[in-house]
Amino acid sequence: MAPPTLTEPAGAPTEDRVADVVIEVVDLSKRYSSAVLAVDSLNFQVRRGQICGLLGPNGAGKTTALRMLLGLVRPTSGDARVLGTSMRAGSPTLLRIGSMIEHASFVPYLSGMRNLRVYWEAVGGSHLSDANLEAALAVAGLGDAVHRKVKTYSQGMRQRLGVARALLGKPEVLVLDEPTNGLDPGEMREIRDLLLRLQNQGVTALLSSHLLSEVEQVCTHAVVMDRGRLVAAGSVADLIQSSSSAYIEVDDAARARALLEALPGVKSVRAEGAGLEVSLDGTARSALVTALVQAGLAVDTVTSRHRLEDAFLGLVNEGGD
Amino acid sequence: MLATFRMEMVKHVLRPRTYVVLGITIVVPLIIAFALKVNPPDFPSPEGGGGHFGGGGGGDLSYFATQTGLFLPVFALEVMSGFLLVVIAALFGGDAVSSEASWGNLRAILTRPIGRGRLLGAKLASALLFTFIATLLVSVVGLTAGGATFGWHALSVPILGIQQSVGHVIGNLALATVYVFWDLAAVVALGFMVSTMTDSVAGAIFAPIGFYFVTRILDNIEAIGKIRYVFPTHYYDAWTNLFIGGSTNDMHTGWLIQIPYVLVFCAFGWFWFRRKDILS
Repeated sequence: MAPPTLTEPAGAPTEDRVADVVIEVVDLSKRYSSAVLAVDSLNFQVRRGQICGLLGPNGAGKTTALRMLLGLVRPTSGDARVLGTSMRAGSPTLLRIGSMIEHASFVPYLSGMRNLRVYWEAVGGSHLSDANLEAALAVAGLGDAVHRKVKTYSQGMRQRLGVARALLGKPEVLVLDEPTNGLDPGEMREIRDLLLRLQNQGVTALLSSHLLSEVEQVCTHAVVMDRGRLVAAGSVADLIQSSSSAYIEVDDAARARALLEALPGVKSVRAEGAGLEVSLDGTARSALVTALVQAGLAVDTVTSRHRLEDAFLGLVNEGGD
Repeated sequence: MLATFRMEMVKHVLRPRTYVVLGITIVVPLIIAFALKVNPPDFPSPEGGGGHFGGGGGGDLSYFATQTGLFLPVFALEVMSGFLLVVIAALFGGDAVSSEASWGNLRAILTRPIGRGRLLGAKLASALLFTFIATLLVSVVGLTAGGATFGWHALSVPILGIQQSVGHVIGNLALATVYVFWDLAAVVALGFMVSTMTDSVAGAIFAPIGFYFVTRILDNIEAIGKIRYVFPTHYYDAWTNLFIGGSTNDMHTGWLIQIPYVLVFCAFGWFWFRRKDILS
């Protein structure tokens, strides 16, 4: 089965598109025991320069999928390819990948700098002086604290050092699991800006996150998983468009709610602030307005509500039905 | 392999625990020297069998240590190899993989293009090296403290038929140090094997300690029969024969009996770790 493609550049020759695929997951499955199928026949591709969000509720199999991409976990079946190489433990392709899986972890009694050195120089012929150290330290933003023992760091400092570690090798591909976990809003924004800068330099990134607003702001594409399976894949814009809802303010919310719930093409209505959040199933918002006006209700506000969160919840709930 | 080994050594060298452990191997021989100087033992009675040399005429290592400082490291090795050095070996072996797994740092290391076999080899080599250093320190510090406290003389105890020159004792001490280390290698290897299978540092350390003491206890039960002869601990103290003019046949067997234990434990750890999913 051909893996779903997140983008299909119009008119691009097939060979170019194949060469452009940086991450390719083909029928990938991981079974931990007879009762636990963490990843089930997963298929998707990420092309060069994309920032792809890997979304899913807890237990969806996101981290297991990322671990298989880095050779940390052996697939039960299928293939996880990065830059054309089937990933296995110790694969030379790992030199071209920067990664951070789950929370950033270090040797606690070593300083941040010493941790970077031990990590980097464990591979023969690698010297920290040849790495992208200055830029990585700028990302970490630890100042003199980089010489302190890591066990004295806050969660945010560790996380920033983890991202810095992932950038040491000037990677072509970034695989990040919850990269903004533990960061304050300012630091989260710095990471978002960093990812956008890296994208402009041609870096491809696959990142998992629970923060859908963050994914919406930084990712060009997204893969949605639920219970180990692929639910949807596409550009973030396309995913958002797949969900449609409207926010309406009227003079009598109770009457309007009863009326709207009875309309065909309306999936649900719920109160939100001073108005109503209406989830639509193919019905145009104008049809709602017409029905409300015909019922003698004064409509103050009608706005569309296209958010990744709506799309995500819709996709996951559909998958669960 | 060398780069990975070097980084493993850096982790050991910069770890405060390493200095606590090695400090113990320095302090205990010093305490022994001080205690023997302050409170020297009596000449061992042949009937009392006091000490390890009972079979060799009822001698006592602690008494010999007061006759020449050359025997202080021998006594220190005898005292420490029964428990402290076993714990230290278990610590270095059992902690090797499990500590990094418990910190979560193992997954970071393995996202570098480092073969798992290479990483294991580097960790095992560094654990063995520090176990050897610990054993060596007991001998070297014991020899130094013994010389400073009691002087270095040839040992002559005619009533027990023991006559050993300085060179003879030092040569035998070197052999004994290597033999004790080789005995401990099986403890390191078992800890190492368990370390690849669990993220529990305590579990990986206590497993080889438990194994060592259980086999020591079973080895004392003669009713178990000849199977005791293949226990890794059966020939554990055979090195003491070097100092009483006894047969070294048990030592030769002891060398050999450790080989399959070390190889099997290491091979199983390697086999397990190569296939292990890194989930921690």
